[in-house]
Amino acid sequence: MDSEAEFRRLYQAHRVAVHAYFTGRTGGHPAAADLMQDVFLRVWQHLDELADLSEDRQRAWIFTVARNLAVDAYRLQHTRAAAEQALAREPARTPPPVSTAVLAAERAAVVGEAIRRLPEQQRVTLALAAAGELNSTEIAAALGVPAGTVRYRLSLARRYLAEALGHYDDQEEER
Amino acid sequence: MSLDDDLAAWAAGVRLPDDEADAIFRRIIATPVPVPGPAAVPSPAHAAVPRLAPSWWGDFSAGFAARMIDSTRPVRRAA
Repeated sequence: MDSEAEFRRLYQAHRVAVHAYFTGRTGGHPAAADLMQDVFLRVWQHLDELADLSEDRQRAWIFTVARNLAVDAYRLQHTRAAAEQALAREPARTPPPVSTAVLAAERAAVVGEAIRRLPEQQRVTLALAAAGELNSTEIAAALGVPAGTVRYRLSLARRYLAEALGHYDDQEEER
Repeated sequence: MSLDDDLAAWAAGVRLPDDEADAIFRRIIATPVPVPGPAAVPSPAHAAVPRLAPSWWGDFSAGFAARMIDSTRPVRRAA
């Protein structure tokens, strides 16, 4: 087996979702990147075991490691403060302003702030869907919950975000 | 803008840039993968520990009981 090629395949297939998961859990960059690196270091170290698994089971294995890392009390304590700051300043990489870009950036900031206030389960689920590009079934497998629960959480989260954006739009009209 | 567009804009802001993802990839593959040793050679932590003979506890209990009984007998006076 070409270890590097196999690892590259797994890394490319799952890194976006794993990073999105940690964005939901911790708030984002750089804590999410550090934790993502820890997950894939374990993937690299257990590549022989993973290579024999189906794609679904590989995802389940990777997200089990991710969940275990996320509940590590020290790591969460260490990352939470940075997480809050990171979400508060997102989106940091928004392109420089033109008028529509300014509007989009402001709305993205409102969305980011509303996501930060969501209950953690909804926040993680939404992050996996929006930033992780996973569908409900894939999120369910990653989190170990029924797909119906995923859809319910997404529905609640989206309703909350829609309300937050509604308030923002109302304030903009009053200006 | 729709909510999906707003979420997409947020996601673009929080997503890990490709160059950082590549740097992480390179750091990981530079890490040596632990090679499992031969199964026949036990690690120090799992080295075989000498075991007591199965009859040890019975012999010990019998000897202990005998000494206790002996200790309660009056001392024989020397003739």
